Amino acid sequence: MKPKHGIPAVVIGLLLFTALIGSAAEKVWVTSEGASLKADRSSLSATVAELTRGTELVVTSCENRWCKVTTPSGKTGWIYQGRVSDAPPEINETEGEAGLGDMLGGLSESSIEADASDSARSIRGLSPEAAAYAKNTGKPEESQKALDQLLSLTIPANEIEQFLKQGKIGEYAQ
Amino acid sequence: MFKEKTRRSEASILEGRRTFLKLAGPFAILLACPAYALDLLRIVDPEGKNKDIQKARQALDGIGSIAQSLKGVDYQTERTIGETLALEGFQRYGMPVKDDGLQKYVNLVGNAVARNGIRPDIPYRFVVVKSEIYNAFSCPGGIIFVSSRLIGSMQDEAELACVLSHEVGHVSHKHALQSIRRAKFLEGAGKIGTLNMEGERGENYRAMIGDLQTVLFDKGLDKGMEYEADAAGMDYAYRTGYDPSGLIRVLEMLERNQSTAVQKGSWFSTHPPLPNRLEKCRQLMERYPDASEMATVKDRFASSCKVLKGASLR
Repeated sequence: MKPKHGIPAVVIGLLLFTALIGSAAEKVWVTSEGASLKADRSSLSATVAELTRGTELVVTSCENRWCKVTTPSGKTGWIYQGRVSDAPPEINETEGEAGLGDMLGGLSESSIEADASDSARSIRGLSPEAAAYAKNTGKPEESQKALDQLLSLTIPANEIEQFLKQGKIGEYAQ
Repeated sequence: MFKEKTRRSEASILEGRRTFLKLAGPFAILLACPAYALDLLRIVDPEGKNKDIQKARQALDGIGSIAQSLKGVDYQTERTIGETLALEGFQRYGMPVKDDGLQKYVNLVGNAVARNGIRPDIPYRFVVVKSEIYNAFSCPGGIIFVSSRLIGSMQDEAELACVLSHEVGHVSHKHALQSIRRAKFLEGAGKIGTLNMEGERGENYRAMIGDLQTVLFDKGLDKGMEYEADAAGMDYAYRTGYDPSGLIRVLEMLERNQSTAVQKGSWFSTHPPLPNRLEKCRQLMERYPDASEMATVKDRFASSCKVLKGASLR
């Protein structure tokens, strides 16, 4: 019996040890899209690495809303404080959840777009279900066109960066 | 005889314990992840010959079904519900202001703050509608409306960023869906069979949309959800680099205009009382000691939204 009790004890001990080691350094996680690691405390400095959302970083120090961090691969640089959080973000958007195709039945193959929730920031216009709703409830064509136009609007990430830069906002503040 | 009864009783207890232990494992796994528990049982007994495992599978199927209906919907479903509500929103509040520059500007501000929210990996779309009502609301999936009156009464980009962040907060926390989940509409929708918008299932869907309209356009969300969205609004705006007190300035502006404004379907009627919101937001400012150093971007806001300053557009 002893070995059976010994295994959980070792596992618990290892977990506690890991937790203690982990708490010695402050950790943060990248929580926003399009974050990058900079060589210095400025958005104008060279980019050391592009960081994906959820990346764990070890913080060395923070100054004027910029934090000096190290990536899991050992790269060191600066990241704007607004880009990180002290808790990891939720990333799995659709895991294990039911789709409208399942709920309404029979539509999953015809209308569910595989990339509907990706970060490409483009939507291919009004969905067939919403169009069917508009038809059955007699919504004016003007409303459908307006929504279709809105959904087709594209907002590229580089335009957002340029927009923030022009406004001297956040990491582009001087 | 007594001993025999005792032996039978002991045997019965032991059998009960064995059955309990057989079922306890799968149920313990179910608590962590019901789908894995069912998969595990299918692997252990693929042909369904073991009666105990069959019983466990039946129980898990039932509980898993309940769990599934409460778990929510995927993004595609959410977006479709949002699109449907957006169609109703145009009917209720007005059509988009015909100014591509303004619409693009609002989408840039909105998407800039949205990527610093807790749900940046879905596409957000923002639309300014021609309306006299002080209002903004978000449809599930990320379609966000803001009225020309509300933007036209703002003073800078930080104020706009905070209001759009507030709405992004609602989408991020799936507040609207939570509201109808509590009302069990999605549980009913989960049992719908073949799609037919003209049949009973279509009626169920339209009924669900009707209830969502009541929540978003008339009754409003729970107070707690609004306070959560206020906090999110200030946080996302601050993370982006905007002055989070922009939300306080908007609420103060609304307070000044409340007595003369249209109440029905506005932020006045669908949101908690302004003094309560202001009090909570002012308390939250303690989190942002450097707020005065953050961007407000007054000039760009003024030039981008000048079309809304004309009385004819409001």
